[in-house]
Amino acid sequence: MKGYRFVTGAVVGALTSATMMVAVQAAEYPTKAIELIVPYAAGGGTDLVARAYADAVNRHLPQSVGVVNKTGGGGAVGLSEIMAARPDGYRIGMGTVEITTLPNLGVARFTADDFTPIARLNAEPSAITVNANAPWKTIEEFLAHAKENPGKVRIGNSGTGAIWHLAAEALATKSGLKFSHIPYDGANPAVTALLGNHIEAVSVSPAEVSSHIAAGTLRILAVMDDQRSKAFPDAPTLKEKGIDVTVATWRGIVVPKKTPANVVETLRAASKKAVEEQGFRDQLTKMNLSYAYLDGPEYKVAMEKDAEMFKVLMKQIGLAK
Amino acid sequence: MYELDMLLHGAQALFNQPMALLLALFGVTLGIIIGALPGLTATMGVAILLPFTFGMDPLSGLLMISGVFFGGIYGGSVTAILLKIPGTPAAAATAIDGFELTKKGQAGIALGTATFSSFLGGTASVFVLIFLAPVLARFALEFSASESFALAVFGLSIIASISGVSVIKGLISGFLGLLLATVGLDPMGGFPRYTGGYTELFNVPFIPVMIGLFAAAEAFKSLEDPQVRAGMAAALDRIIPPWYVFRRQLGNIARSSGLGIIIGMIPGAGADIAAFVAYNEAKRFSKTPENYGKGELGAVAACESGANGCTGGALLTMLTLGIPGDAVTAVMLGALTLQGLQPGPLLFKDHADLVFTLFAGMLVCYVMMLVVGLGSLRFMGRILQMPKSVLTPAILALCIVGTYAINNSIFDIWIMLAAGVVGYFMQKWDFPASPVVLALIMGPMAEANFRRALSLSNGSYDFLYTRPITAALLAIAIVTLMLPLLRRLWAERSGSGPSTINPAAGSSRMGTPE
Repeated sequence: MKGYRFVTGAVVGALTSATMMVAVQAAEYPTKAIELIVPYAAGGGTDLVARAYADAVNRHLPQSVGVVNKTGGGGAVGLSEIMAARPDGYRIGMGTVEITTLPNLGVARFTADDFTPIARLNAEPSAITVNANAPWKTIEEFLAHAKENPGKVRIGNSGTGAIWHLAAEALATKSGLKFSHIPYDGANPAVTALLGNHIEAVSVSPAEVSSHIAAGTLRILAVMDDQRSKAFPDAPTLKEKGIDVTVATWRGIVVPKKTPANVVETLRAASKKAVEEQGFRDQLTKMNLSYAYLDGPEYKVAMEKDAEMFKVLMKQIGLAK
Repeated sequence: MYELDMLLHGAQALFNQPMALLLALFGVTLGIIIGALPGLTATMGVAILLPFTFGMDPLSGLLMISGVFFGGIYGGSVTAILLKIPGTPAAAATAIDGFELTKKGQAGIALGTATFSSFLGGTASVFVLIFLAPVLARFALEFSASESFALAVFGLSIIASISGVSVIKGLISGFLGLLLATVGLDPMGGFPRYTGGYTELFNVPFIPVMIGLFAAAEAFKSLEDPQVRAGMAAALDRIIPPWYVFRRQLGNIARSSGLGIIIGMIPGAGADIAAFVAYNEAKRFSKTPENYGKGELGAVAACESGANGCTGGALLTMLTLGIPGDAVTAVMLGALTLQGLQPGPLLFKDHADLVFTLFAGMLVCYVMMLVVGLGSLRFMGRILQMPKSVLTPAILALCIVGTYAINNSIFDIWIMLAAGVVGYFMQKWDFPASPVVLALIMGPMAEANFRRALSLSNGSYDFLYTRPITAALLAIAIVTLMLPLLRRLWAERSGSGPSTINPAAGSSRMGTPE
């Protein structure tokens, strides 16, 4: 990415400086490669959405969009970088649900208001997944086991205060159970730990365990959504089972708040065209990810709704500062 | 034999696709260049090329990426040996003895040995991947947080063997690295530590520190030298090591490759750790351990075969289980998924033809790496004949550009330059730089996994001795730390060499790094 950007930057720079670089840069965006910051590790759900998006949007922008993974701190590192980026539209980011959760933890310098949403691309519910060798065949059995062994059932998540941790906490609060929450550096390592039977369950999304479900090594017990997942119609929702918990992550493009309106409009228009491409939707389907496009303003509404919900939840479970 | 059959079929299919081979060659060449440049790592190289593979057929795309992966791991050794600039973190271990060999005028043989060792280590790992994947894959799953913690502690204990002249100075350097490693976000709670409000410090700026300590420090040192017109050394006289020399390294290479494969399979441990561990074990088994650190060919062979052995190991768990063994394969996992190939047990069933063609291609990639590597060495070796008045500024420029390229951050450049100044004085006062790098790699890994293991065991410390792999690794770590001390004690008791260090004072310091 960087090397590529450097080379293109050098070529573009050399060409334009000869003519009228200043005028070009002011009037037309983008004049150089755009960096798409992903706050999670390569190979995870957020990363895959970002790469599919970059691939699609590249056809609708005169400059290329490259993905950069900035991991750590349950997303705080990458999101802080997006917030702190120069608001010129050359560093955009994958804004995830953590935008609404991290501020409550008191570790982030940003709040949901610091970002201008461009487009929501995808949304994934949390799912309770266990090893295929585990004795629990249904979510009821699993919850009964957790009730008998308070604090003993270990649920792996993608980082303290991250969405899958909160999903597990929400389940615990609503069902009156106590789990041991184990943070990993992303969903992938948590799934690895589950495969090795080092933990009892993970609360990551169905997409992040799909290949293991297909291989028969893991089993989804329930999803935390309003309706059943299209990819895994056999897994019931928690709502069906009388536990009113719906927690989902979402991923979309955001830019720093002060980004000029013309840049925001360009990105919104390009994103709209990108998500309308069949190729982009096919990519998502291929990865068992659900397409959930929302344009900037609607995305903002959804974001604010989640911000409010997590504020209440996190205060309730004592996570909020 | 099913695998052999499939491999031969795969090879046939491969040679009917000249475009895929051409892209593989392009990938290998690009990988070597990326690896050789400081700041650009194999991980970054794979990430750069990833978007270009979307439009390709799966075989071409994946072979090109594998080529970059393999070339990138090897390429780091070239500048590490010639200029003490580790192009990649893995090459930081190679630089220790590699650069000493260059100073002795044996750069050619060092480079040749590195190339052959990389080739042998990598090829061995691909063969293990082909024939033993299903057998070995489960091993990776045995690794939980406590095992990763123990591995990191073992990694830290290696400081004792890469310290060079003085173990105490090595440990001081290691502690400096561990202190630096605490900067950044708390791995479990996500709280910022010692960041002074700088977002740039949320992650330890590891590669800038490494470039500064090694390359910039070396450049600063050569500014002292008034002989600016002279080159560093004569041309490379011979590149391919004589058989009687190389023969002695074969056992070493086999051991190091094996270690590399195992470490590659462990989730979260990559080529950098493999190179350091291979160095440590090569020294442990060497008949002349005192030569390590002063320009020992065995050290170069061990580091390079270990680092490249990692490639097959990391691919093994990624392809069979869908869990990446290191940062590069984590990016490759995305590439596979986007090609519609779900890594995991089903990959070998549903796409056996493609998988074995890919394996054949990986072997070809390593042959290409050998040919491209050997072919370019003589050209690369000319660097040494450049007058210092040209070379030193060029190295400094390369350090700055390479550092900037990591995060496009000016902040990183300041970090790199500051590390360069520190590194210059460390070199003046004989403090080795590699323990700092090692501590920066292992420190965060040890901390995060120790705390995770504690969470997993509900706060009980039992995992330290009840889990066999953990206990074994911790025991090896203690032995590694105590070995130099025991050797000295033994030497004293037998009344030979006089010791300048009080063993009691030594032991109290040695017990503390964990």
